[in-house]
Amino acid sequence: MKWLALVGGLVAVLLAAVVLGPAAVPLRELTHSPIVWQLRVPRALLGLLVGGSLGVAGASLQSLVRNPLADPFLLGLSGGAGLGAVTAIALHLPGSWALPLAAFVGALGALGLVFRLGLVGGAELDPRILLLGGVAVGAFCAAVTTAIVSLAEASELRNAFLWLWGGLSGASWDTVRVLLVYLPLPLLVLFGAARPLDLLVLGEEQARHLGADVAVVKRRVYLAASFLTAAAVATAGVVGFVGLIVPHLARSLWGGRHRSLLPASFLAGGALLVAADTLARVAVAPRELPVGVVTALVGVPLFVLLLRRWTAY
Amino acid sequence: MALQRTKALPLAHLRSAGGGICCMRRWAHRTHLAGWLLALAAGACRSSADRRSTPDGSGALSVVDDAGRAVVLAAPARRIVSLAPSITELLFAIGAGDRVVGRTTWCKYPPAATAVPSVGDGLDPNVEAIAAQRPDLVVLYRSALTESATGRLAALGIPTLVLRHDRLLDVGRTARLLGRLTGQSSAGDSLARLIDSTLAVPPPATIPRPRLAFVVWDNPPMTIGGGSFLDELVGLAGGENVFHDIRSASATVSLETIAVRDPDWILILTDSAPGPPAWSTRAEWRVVRAARARHFLYLPAELFGQPSPRTPEAVATLRRLLEAAR
Repeated sequence: MKWLALVGGLVAVLLAAVVLGPAAVPLRELTHSPIVWQLRVPRALLGLLVGGSLGVAGASLQSLVRNPLADPFLLGLSGGAGLGAVTAIALHLPGSWALPLAAFVGALGALGLVFRLGLVGGAELDPRILLLGGVAVGAFCAAVTTAIVSLAEASELRNAFLWLWGGLSGASWDTVRVLLVYLPLPLLVLFGAARPLDLLVLGEEQARHLGADVAVVKRRVYLAASFLTAAAVATAGVVGFVGLIVPHLARSLWGGRHRSLLPASFLAGGALLVAADTLARVAVAPRELPVGVVTALVGVPLFVLLLRRWTAY
Repeated sequence: MALQRTKALPLAHLRSAGGGICCMRRWAHRTHLAGWLLALAAGACRSSADRRSTPDGSGALSVVDDAGRAVVLAAPARRIVSLAPSITELLFAIGAGDRVVGRTTWCKYPPAATAVPSVGDGLDPNVEAIAAQRPDLVVLYRSALTESATGRLAALGIPTLVLRHDRLLDVGRTARLLGRLTGQSSAGDSLARLIDSTLAVPPPATIPRPRLAFVVWDNPPMTIGGGSFLDELVGLAGGENVFHDIRSASATVSLETIAVRDPDWILILTDSAPGPPAWSTRAEWRVVRAARARHFLYLPAELFGQPSPRTPEAVATLRRLLEAAR
């Protein structure tokens, strides 16, 4: 029943995203309008993929570091992506894919650095060091980015931040295709780690006693979730709150079992982002709101309701 | 947290397009202000400035600036620090260029201005660097960041003039104000008359008017609205900005809105050599007819980046481009 409602809701928001928009497209022209076919459909699909990835990445990371505050961008990836994007613009890298690629490389750089930091204590990732390292690396990248922006003369640099703030306006069939090839691997790795993640939530000691190979699971989950996030930030910038709120919503409805929590987070994350993006495009037309603003406006009240329910117990 | 840190950067840093830092500040500033409000304010400032700016018996000069403050100088300014490219250009245009002793890193025109020492980027004025030039007048662009610098300069006994310089009407108005304070009233007034007469010339009556859209950033697509002087320039050159109805100076819009408004030409401000922007080859932009047909017109950011004394030249350039494009 819950699943039916979730899938139904997702289909409804996908339909709304295709039908609604600042441009009036008559219903009977819907199937052959280039605006619908070249812009709205790929944008809705990109929203589904990015929102879903952020939902899954957030849910897995929250379980990995056993901290309800964990967010896919907490681990320094947004800082790295921003640094990559600004560098691409400052160096005038040519080509229409230079910016997302550079952001992706920057995110991976931050990922590698945080990962290496997380291993300082030995062969096992320490969640506390992951969190602190993520924050530190993110802050450092942000500082370097700001230094480049304030010292360089290229005025386009300031727009790199606009891009980084997030939005799905870069959506095309090309981006959707790239993600469809890229995302399945990290998603499957995380779905495959559902059982060990259940154990990990109990505590590392307990998980080990129950037979989980904790060190391997932690690395696998961290890397897969980060690769999901890096792809999301490269294609859609830093879309806030989806990866923080959706896992909590899903957990309150589906419980803590990752076998259902992770797919539910994917579908709910996708639905939230697609709905938020539709609102962002339509609400103040012909202007457009940054989608992160809408995810926060929609997500935070939901989150507050949830907090009230938790504290009422 | 990293997310919050990125977002904590002031919005003023984000709203730029080819036009240098002043362009950016201007846009950041005007985003929330309707164009007509600005025009009204500009009109009001002009009348009050005219009324009170006659030199009194002691030879003191006094004007009211755009922050509503009375600025009184005992004698025409001899050492001026200008904290906006448009102001620097105006000072040179009214023959006060030799009195400019400090400029921003963005002041590149006229070429003689680059010989003046720079006091920083002017965005968040470096009071110490300014004071080191021992100015007897500092001209600032009106923004929240320059507000506090004005107070700190005043504490050092340095007079400041705060100007709003957003619309084409502001050029003539500020030319008059600067003319008075530098003892170049006649040059300031004649420049103002020249600019204002350009503004009064009706645009060429070509029917249909070419429909234009600025694309100042591609992802998210940002365009220029009716609140910008660029929209005024398009009107004067006989074109029609398809986003004229957006009241702010610049705005983020959906790609599909651009596709549906269907401009004939896309205007691009550029610092570098003209050429189709990298984004024009992206699949999603092919929905826009002008992008598909590579209908791009390139405007040098140095000339079009701010309202300037070369407004007549900008209008003529744009007119020529539009005629050649038909």
